[in-house]
Amino acid sequence: MSSDASARKDPSGLAGQPGGLTAWGRLVAWGPYRALADFTTASPRRQFVILAAFPILWVLTQHLGPMLQMLRVSLTDAYPVAQGVEQSFTLDNYLRFFGDRIFWMPFFRTLAFAGVFTFCTLILTYPVAYFLARHVSRRNQMLMLLLLLVPFWVGEIVRTYAIMILLGNTGAVNLVLKWLGLIDRPIPFMYTSFSMGVGIVYLTALYMLLPLYSALEKLPKSYNEAAADLGAGAWTRFRRVTLPLTLEGISSGCTLVFLISTGFYATPVLLGGPSTTVFAETIAGFFHVAGDEWPTGAAFATIMFLAALLITGVFQRVMRGLRKGDTG
Amino acid sequence: MIRGNRIFLSCAYWAFVLYVFVPLILMVMMGFKDSKFIGFPIRSWTLDWYSGVFADAEVLSTFGYSIAIAVLSTIASVVVGTWIAVLLERSRFKGWGVMFGLTVLPALVPGIISAIAFRIYARYLGIEPGMGAIIWAHAVHNVPFVVLVVMARLSTLPKSQIEAARDLGADPLVAFLRITLPYLVPAILGASIFCLLLSFDDFVRSFFLGGYDPTLPVLIFAKLKSGMSPEINAIATVALVLTAAIGIWAERFTRRANKDTN
Amino acid sequence: MTQDPLVRIDQITKTFGETVALENLTLDIARGEFVTFLGPSGCGKSTTLRILGGFEQPDSGRVILDGTDVTRQPPEKRHVNMVFQDYALFPHMTVRQNISFALELKGMDRAAIRARQDEIMDFLELGAYGDRYPGQLSGGQRQRVALARALAPDPALLLLDEPLAALDAKLRGQVQQELKSIQRRTHKTFFFVTHDQEEALTMSDRIVVMNDGRVEQDGTPEELYFHPTSRFVAEFIGETNLISGEMRGREGDAVVMDWFGQTLRGHASGTTPRPGETITASLRLEKLGFHNARPETGNAVQGRVVRKTFLGSRMAVDLAVEEAQGATLRAFVDAETGQAVGSDPVWLGWDSDSMAVLRD
Repeated sequence: MSSDASARKDPSGLAGQPGGLTAWGRLVAWGPYRALADFTTASPRRQFVILAAFPILWVLTQHLGPMLQMLRVSLTDAYPVAQGVEQSFTLDNYLRFFGDRIFWMPFFRTLAFAGVFTFCTLILTYPVAYFLARHVSRRNQMLMLLLLLVPFWVGEIVRTYAIMILLGNTGAVNLVLKWLGLIDRPIPFMYTSFSMGVGIVYLTALYMLLPLYSALEKLPKSYNEAAADLGAGAWTRFRRVTLPLTLEGISSGCTLVFLISTGFYATPVLLGGPSTTVFAETIAGFFHVAGDEWPTGAAFATIMFLAALLITGVFQRVMRGLRKGDTG
Repeated sequence: MIRGNRIFLSCAYWAFVLYVFVPLILMVMMGFKDSKFIGFPIRSWTLDWYSGVFADAEVLSTFGYSIAIAVLSTIASVVVGTWIAVLLERSRFKGWGVMFGLTVLPALVPGIISAIAFRIYARYLGIEPGMGAIIWAHAVHNVPFVVLVVMARLSTLPKSQIEAARDLGADPLVAFLRITLPYLVPAILGASIFCLLLSFDDFVRSFFLGGYDPTLPVLIFAKLKSGMSPEINAIATVALVLTAAIGIWAERFTRRANKDTN
Repeated sequence: MTQDPLVRIDQITKTFGETVALENLTLDIARGEFVTFLGPSGCGKSTTLRILGGFEQPDSGRVILDGTDVTRQPPEKRHVNMVFQDYALFPHMTVRQNISFALELKGMDRAAIRARQDEIMDFLELGAYGDRYPGQLSGGQRQRVALARALAPDPALLLLDEPLAALDAKLRGQVQQELKSIQRRTHKTFFFVTHDQEEALTMSDRIVVMNDGRVEQDGTPEELYFHPTSRFVAEFIGETNLISGEMRGREGDAVVMDWFGQTLRGHASGTTPRPGETITASLRLEKLGFHNARPETGNAVQGRVVRKTFLGSRMAVDLAVEEAQGATLRAFVDAETGQAVGSDPVWLGWDSDSMAVLRD
């Protein structure tokens, strides 16, 4: 890492000393190192095995492992297993989900919310991305994008709190409305699906904005000019040229935002109310209340994950179909 | 027509800027309010909440705890992520697609599911909830981001650079240390900053894997559940300034580093 | 086969998936030779170079370097260095650091490295640039640094992978001379790969023309130019007249052929045609001479000028040979001769030795 810096201090690479081996010379002359290097490079195959072993092991045990273990726990009747008790395979945890309204209502609510919020984010950020990519000079583009990035480095909780202050009964919005004489009494924005939506869109907008921006930025301006030359109006140009060619960006942005939206826990807890309970809260409940119900929690999390994967998978397939239909 | 479009789009952009900044600005302002009661209007101002924060040993130690977790998990993510990126970018093998899919998996799993999967796996591995568990979960979760950033950079390193090093007598490790690694420095630094922020800001994994000591977001969450107070605004503002400062610095740094090497 | 060659390439075959890059290649390279592998892209010349450098391993066959089998040795173990097409200078290291890279790893001490740096930089006139980074150098300077870096560890064999491709045309001519003279002064063995026939003719002691993973012809530049043995070589190197006709018989060394009723004599070295076969011969443009009367020896036909193309120092003249059903021949003559030819038929003559009968 430091060789770049040291190069500037020592252009000859020899640190001004008249004799002796250099650091690299010493390293490769050192017996144990030499043996290691010779062992590693004995064949291309061995070299590959040494390079690949750790990543493969890591990915299997650390990336896949937690998901598989969650799946396994979801299929057992008790976890952790008490001493002397046989753990047995069961599907009860999954059946339980369908048995009670208080379980599947939040589930469908979460998916519906995530879908609606994703759509809102798309509508909100597309003009912003379009403006940045099309109407701003190269130099300013980076600055104006950076301006939007800064707030997104701030964490989920802090930003959720900021929304609470904005929308509270004594919050800024109500203050302004009252000041304008539009209302006498504060509107209860908080603890509704509205406040939750404002918060979640606030948290996810960047993940939509960036893919849209890069898709729009890649699009040559000449396409639009050609369309205009052929007599297409602004709306037609957008619908027939820009939109089809940015479907890929829309598709990846929506997928990302949807997946993230389904996973929020703290934001719904803080911004939502009893009528907006999301599935994340249901799942968390099994890990927090007394009595260990981890297998049920694991089963519900698995259902959530599979549903999210299924929906985004179908969505991406549909988008791909649209893209082919329009361009091919 | 075109002009009208432009005005509409420019309004959309600036409205979005307001949407993004106003809540944070209000939140910061509220930390200076001379009253226990959160709400507008603010009639008198004070710095008491800040002096309170900097005098509060618990809050200060929480900052330290969060920073320590961020630094340690970032080191792990960067080492592992760089290694995986080198494998994925430098070789094509049977099952490459599967390997890539598994590599990015932790970044695609929705937050709550990721958190409880880690919670279950931690128990399976025998890791007690607490600092070690959080570091581990953050490290795993952040690996994909490192891999993607490092791969992007590595793909622009001409293959001949490594071949030249080998040709001149460097074994693969020396070639990596003297040629590849210096080339990757800007990407690794950028990815590190990103991991630091992700870890420092993370709530859901820290919440489910934490022991008795809260990380900063968990502390703010707990305080919020028991009621809003300008004290929370002061804590949140300090965290905000810290993260924004690191973010801006990193952005400038990586841009300059990229300019240097290109 | 030479006695005690520096490199022996022994029956090497290399395939990439379905494509055969090299097919049973066998070749010796002598010490101190400047040998060029010439051919179109995909002919296997670069694969040969990469196998010699250790970046590819052949499917079968052996590479013997200085009496040792190095086929399975990684690049860092070989006493071979390479100048890359894009030079592959390390951008974060100064010229001196680039040069000392290999020396450090060879285990030389600092004083010796310093001395070698000075020596090689002096030799290649790089003295003033030691502390510069590659990004601060011109194309020609970078090329010399790449050469210096590869020569510094004193390799037995230097591989050059189209190192002039990135230079502009004017500089290229100058660098060709320089490279040749460096090779002569260092007595090193150069293995040069290019698709540029002019470059190959200018610099090489020996040229190996490759096509489709096989050697088409192997010889000195003069041999290849004037006595190509195959149609591919005749067409790939320089410009030529291809004359097809029926083989009639032999007169001593010469092959007698019938070209639209004209009897011509040629020379066959790479093939032994039989009477009655259709054969093709190559006749270099500058081997055609203009005469006022029928020349007494060699081949002669009468032609009428169809077109003249002025090329500066010389002129290309296309002539139609009426007695050969109007087939055309092209000749290079000096500009004055070219100007002088009028619309009257002129005699064209050439030695039978300068017409090479080709294998198809």
